Amino acid sequence: MIAPGIKRGTAELAVLSVLEDGPLHGYEMARRIEEQTQGSLRFTLASLYPLLYKLEKRGWVRGAWETSTGGRRRRCYRLTSAGKKKLAPIRAEWSALFLALKRLAKVSHA
Amino acid sequence: MRDWKALVEERLAGLGLEPKERAEVIAEVAAYLEDICEGMLKQGMTEDEAVGRALSQAGNWKNLQRKIFAAKKREQPMKKRVWQVWVPGFLTLILSMLFLTALYRLGLRGRLVWSGPIAILLYTPWLAGLPFIGALGAYISSRAGGSRANVIFVSVFPALALTGAFLLMFPIGLAVQGVTGSQGDFSIVATVLLKDGIGWIVVPGVALLVGGLLAHALLNARSSSQRTAIG
Repeated sequence: MIAPGIKRGTAELAVLSVLEDGPLHGYEMARRIEEQTQGSLRFTLASLYPLLYKLEKRGWVRGAWETSTGGRRRRCYRLTSAGKKKLAPIRAEWSALFLALKRLAKVSHA
Repeated sequence: MRDWKALVEERLAGLGLEPKERAEVIAEVAAYLEDICEGMLKQGMTEDEAVGRALSQAGNWKNLQRKIFAAKKREQPMKKRVWQVWVPGFLTLILSMLFLTALYRLGLRGRLVWSGPIAILLYTPWLAGLPFIGALGAYISSRAGGSRANVIFVSVFPALALTGAFLLMFPIGLAVQGVTGSQGDFSIVATVLLKDGIGWIVVPGVALLVGGLLAHALLNARSSSQRTAIG
């Protein structure tokens, strides 16, 4: 498991990356992140929603209510064009950080 | 079936948002918890267990309420725009004019570049200081969250204001000619406007813009390296 302090920094990247594949509601987003990171990154209500609202305020994601075939209303989030633009530099920053850590402490990332 | 909305509403009772926004947050959080609970029921938990586990995802509800409020709280767009555009814009204009006046009083004069009819007066000491003024405007706008477009606008604001003043000269000049009945040679007027436009608008605009863009680039580089460092 990854320590909470490190996770906090990766949260933006995780959410923006998972939304790159298409719009998702909160539960599905958390489930996909957990699945794709094999349980290393887990979002809870307390960590996911404040972040989503922050990203929405910045204009990187946009939420809209959608009704599923079962008649359930869920607020789905999609990446905006500003969010898509932001994703590339955030990825680059993390790659640079991983590379720096790898050099420094021989840490390798998958 | 649990009334998730009621459960959440009770726990987020102190969420100080507008009623519509608050209702949306409550509905969204309730839907999320309902999904979580269903997932746990599918894993074989009892309903009470699943509800308890789902609600515990919030951790401290007061803390969550505070975080949601902080994330949702919007600055008034007008207030934001004032600090991103108008305050730094007028500051660059006032500072550039005060700087020019001060130089003039100190006896530092402009110099003519080229000679003959295309000679352009360039106020070199003033021009040398303008990148710093442009950079200051850009710094204030960037710190207030101004976009790149805001920063460019703020940096060149003094040049834009002078352009406005120059453009006003045309109708005023025509009106004066109409009143006095004198016939001016338009080619002379156009040459003067072009020369003064280059010396007082284009070159100072470029100087201001260079300073503004450099400051913006430096601030961006610094904030991105800080983000990487903090993570």
